[in-house]
Amino acid sequence: MDQPEERMRPQDRNATMLVLAWLWVGLPLAWGVAVTIDNATKLFQ
Amino acid sequence: MAFFDRSNTIAGPGFNRWLVPPAALCIHLCIGEAYAFSVFTKPMAQAIGITAPTPGADWTVPELGWIFSLAILVLGLSAAFGGKWVERAGPRKAMFVAALCFSSGLILAGIGVNSHLLWLVYLGYGVVGGCGLGIGYISPVSTLIKWFPDRPGLATGTAIMGFGGGAMIGAPLSVLLMKHFANASGTGVAQTMFVLGILYFIWMVAGSLIVRIPQDGWKPAGYVAPVASQAMITSRNVVLERALRTPQFYLLWLVLCLNVTAGIGVIGQASLMIQDIFGVTAVAAAGFVGLISLFNMGGRIFWASLSDFIGRKRTYAIFFIAGAVLYAFVPTWGHLHAVALFVISFLLIISMYGGGFATIPAYLRDLYGTVNVGAIHGALLTAWSVAGIAGPVLINYIREYEINHGIAKADAYSVTMYVMAALLMVGLLCDLAVRPVDERYYLEAQTVT
Repeated sequence: MDQPEERMRPQDRNATMLVLAWLWVGLPLAWGVAVTIDNATKLFQ
Repeated sequence: MAFFDRSNTIAGPGFNRWLVPPAALCIHLCIGEAYAFSVFTKPMAQAIGITAPTPGADWTVPELGWIFSLAILVLGLSAAFGGKWVERAGPRKAMFVAALCFSSGLILAGIGVNSHLLWLVYLGYGVVGGCGLGIGYISPVSTLIKWFPDRPGLATGTAIMGFGGGAMIGAPLSVLLMKHFANASGTGVAQTMFVLGILYFIWMVAGSLIVRIPQDGWKPAGYVAPVASQAMITSRNVVLERALRTPQFYLLWLVLCLNVTAGIGVIGQASLMIQDIFGVTAVAAAGFVGLISLFNMGGRIFWASLSDFIGRKRTYAIFFIAGAVLYAFVPTWGHLHAVALFVISFLLIISMYGGGFATIPAYLRDLYGTVNVGAIHGALLTAWSVAGIAGPVLINYIREYEINHGIAKADAYSVTMYVMAALLMVGLLCDLAVRPVDERYYLEAQTVT
């Protein structure tokens, strides 16, 4: 039986892991920065 | 448990080293929540009264200030004395232990708040959580240095920056959760701590799963180790035992301690302070805490990078002179009700506070070389522990003393600001007294391995 063609190559798996890992920390941090800036505008109103 | 062993975390061929900084950030962005602890102070001080503190029954602000101080004390001690274990156990086990300690500390503290047992909050957040902070702080740093010998500043800066930026997530998330859980019978602090404990555990464990250590002797492709050649930066080495006998160690201990004391008291009470002085809302105060976090984070990269060009001694001199001037003007901004100038002053002070943390390892490396710099840095972190108590205690007790003697809440911080300015001038004298280490303390070249 043939190996499935769509199985990810190690390089692709690494790249996917890298994107997921940075999203895992980047998304909450981006949310924190956005809320921080939004709250900071209230500070000066 | 073998999965967590050091031997099972060695990277295979083709591992991308840029996976390690997000792993480190998973830890540091979580434990950096400690810098957002001030958002809990006000609701915890009215846990029984709900809408206002009940005198005699509710916890006082100085009592609550000890939670943050204790956490920082334990952080410094566990970072100073846990370094060897972290090296032996490897980053995955150390990060997992940090996740367990920090999360269970939050949950214990939540139980303490729920049952109104202050000792349990001290034990949970201060002691157990503090161990998580200390182990978590050092666990990814040494791993990053190994992965990035060509860019150690960038690598450690990423992790240490995460610690500075943790409050940007922690402060608004805590406010959001407290708002969700608050009702007529409670402020929602306990439930918030439970949820944070679970979320942070998941996040930190993800970091421990991603992290890998390089194989022995691994180097980035094309990397050649640089040879130190500048006159003011030694290319020789001093071991920990000898470094502890040099006056420079104690001068730098004071430099770090005084710089941290001046900043940490503000970080711990930032939310309460701006509400007391300017009467801003809790949400806006959380914005101030978040901005502090942003500058604390940015200052680490900015000042440490600048110190590479102007030197460590001059960088600290700027911290102490500019910091003292800014502190001396803070009461004036309060009297003038100049919120913007008040905020800008504190943001600059906090950037220099963060910069102090980021610059001190380079200062130590300049004076003592690279062989034992990790151990010397660990020993120096006890200055952080002392400052973690001194800073908040100065702010809290002077505030309480002033209020008890009839001073308005808005003016209760003035004396503290002048005390901070004076402490920074003492720090300047210590910094100016630092000279190159005496010849007799250096190791002979052939004994360095």
